[in-house]
Amino acid sequence: MTLPVQRPRSFLERLFIPEILRGLYITLQHGLHNLFHQDQPTVEYPDMRRVMPDRYKGAHRLTTRPDGKVKCVACMCCAQVCPARCITIEAGEDADEPIEKYPVQFQIDMLRCIYCGYCVEACPKDAIRMDTGIYEINSFTRQDMIHDKAYMTDLMDGKKPLAEKFYRDQPDQAPAGFDGTQDRVVSVDDSRGL
Amino acid sequence: MPTVKINGIEVEVPAGTNMIEAAAKIGIEIPHYCYHPHLTVAGNCRMCLCDVEAGGRGPDIACNMQARDGLAIRTDTPRVKQMRKSVMEFLLKNHPLDCPICDQSGECRLQDYYMDYGQYESRLADPKVTKHKRQDIGDHLVLDAERCVACSRCVRFGDQITGTGELRLFNRTDHTEIGIFPGVRIDHDYQGNLADICPVGAITSKDFRFQKRVWYLTDTDSICTACATGCDIKVCHERNQVFRIKPRRNDAVNQSWMCDHGRMIWQDLTSLGRLLQARVEGQVGNTDAAMQTAVETLQGAEPGTVGVVLGTQASNEANWALWRLAKDALKGASVFWCQGNDPGAWDRVDDLLIDADKNPNTEGVRALTRHDASIGDGADLAHAVREGNLKTLLVLQDDVLGRLGDAADGVAVLYIGTHRNGTVDKAAVVLPAAHTVEQDATYTNRRGQVQRVRRAVHPAGDSRPAWQLLDRLGASLGKAPGASTAAIAFKKLSAQVPAFADMTYRALGTQGLPLVAPQPEAQTDQASQEHHEPAK
Repeated sequence: MTLPVQRPRSFLERLFIPEILRGLYITLQHGLHNLFHQDQPTVEYPDMRRVMPDRYKGAHRLTTRPDGKVKCVACMCCAQVCPARCITIEAGEDADEPIEKYPVQFQIDMLRCIYCGYCVEACPKDAIRMDTGIYEINSFTRQDMIHDKAYMTDLMDGKKPLAEKFYRDQPDQAPAGFDGTQDRVVSVDDSRGL
Repeated sequence: MPTVKINGIEVEVPAGTNMIEAAAKIGIEIPHYCYHPHLTVAGNCRMCLCDVEAGGRGPDIACNMQARDGLAIRTDTPRVKQMRKSVMEFLLKNHPLDCPICDQSGECRLQDYYMDYGQYESRLADPKVTKHKRQDIGDHLVLDAERCVACSRCVRFGDQITGTGELRLFNRTDHTEIGIFPGVRIDHDYQGNLADICPVGAITSKDFRFQKRVWYLTDTDSICTACATGCDIKVCHERNQVFRIKPRRNDAVNQSWMCDHGRMIWQDLTSLGRLLQARVEGQVGNTDAAMQTAVETLQGAEPGTVGVVLGTQASNEANWALWRLAKDALKGASVFWCQGNDPGAWDRVDDLLIDADKNPNTEGVRALTRHDASIGDGADLAHAVREGNLKTLLVLQDDVLGRLGDAADGVAVLYIGTHRNGTVDKAAVVLPAAHTVEQDATYTNRRGQVQRVRRAVHPAGDSRPAWQLLDRLGASLGKAPGASTAAIAFKKLSAQVPAFADMTYRALGTQGLPLVAPQPEAQTDQASQEHHEPAK
């Protein structure tokens, strides 16, 4: 049931003109403030990016041993615990290693992933992490959304988000503070607690 | 029979039954590693220690306590719990804990009992004793001595079942290590059983190595159809794919064992020779068209020149359907069956499980021939073909042309089977049949045990169970045998053939039933007269 609320308008309100001017004044206030101050809460993405908190769950990566092989032993704990069932692992035998088992193929279907982080918690080998801070997980094809072992192993060196790669290739267009060696493109100070 | 008391519950068991089996009878599980129902009692894992209330001195091991009047044991006292915990601590003291890469993980007694009776806190101060890992001990086996709990099941299997004795426990105390004599390899046909009986991950199968974590697999009870023994198996599969076959206990057939050849029959499902589509004169086509050609061939044949050949490799249901088809739809067709292996069959034989007869259903067809004396044997078939009395043959999974050779030139063969053979290449029409793990059916083994196979995966390609194909063929010919499902086909079979009397799928259960022994002469005549009435 709808209850009509009585809000009697005053004479000035009924004229509308002063109210319009009052609105324009508020907008003008913000416009002038932004013209002379650099403290906008919005980020000029993709030229700028925000620092993600350390515990932010971004794109998955596979960690490696000192010799470059993936730490993963294909125990399937992550695939088992995954509520979206997006992890596919094919196990194989490594004849040369004392650690006998390794993943021949390790795929995560990022279209199905819900970023719960259970796979990271379940891993007994610290082989999978979501600490990349990468949230630009996108592509032009569905096939590319299936991240494979090679992609996730290289994610921290070389295969950065597209914008970052762009700035690495065209440094003159990069935003201030980007020198090509940083882990992440970061130029926004989050200390204001936005 | 003596009565014993377990946790205050009285149970009557045959004399000589040990307490593990007696407790299992009333649903009490006594944890154990070294005890196995088909091996001798070793009593060295100490996991089954129980308190003895009366009738003996305790604590004592349940596997070696035989049932006698007045014996009373308890498995639920704090002391028993403490004993199990202590035994587990010793067993896990030097365990490498490599569960993430261990194939046993998920069906490992160490894991299971650790969750139930584990210490949870390690008191180990010294480094673990290391042993030899990843040893190649046989064509189908990998040995990891570190994971071993020295239960000696594998040693006893080699000594008592195969009599080959390759494995031994070497050294003493916590340096005890399972191993193989230098220069020896395990080289018998029963290697897979060693991986099965190992309660931990010390001996694992090479064929299944890293293929699948076991908790993904679904088990379907079935039987092996590689030879006439018909070992009980469970087919382990996931998402319509079979990953392994393991034996299932049946004391009347295979105890707990099976051979390595039978373990790999699932590979036949996708092997190169598998028939996946129907063929007409060698041309691959769809099943409906091939069925139509078959019907036209059968209807166009002169009366009296049609023969059907039952298949000792096909199920009871399929053979019954073909027999009914010959009697009802193809009036006047003569029925034959050929005993013996197809040319080129697997030729291994031993006195443990592997039978010389490689046909899983010889006794089932023989039961049919005992009932219907007009069914001719292989010699009759060869004679009829040589005389030119047969122009059209409907063959159920039997390499007839391979047996008959050139004598059968000019005979139109309609073939129903699973794999390519000499007959398929020359057959006029080929209908693809489902493999045993792809259908519900029954087979009768060499001792006359009728046992069920259950469908584990979908039939590959266009293949369908043979009884279903025959039922459709019969319907097109005007009178279907009435095998709309395997259970209905078997019900009709048991109503018509006295050897299968009173059997149903439910009654067969997981262990099967023996064929009903042939009745005295007078009664058999009466029974065969009865069957001629339509059994609807």
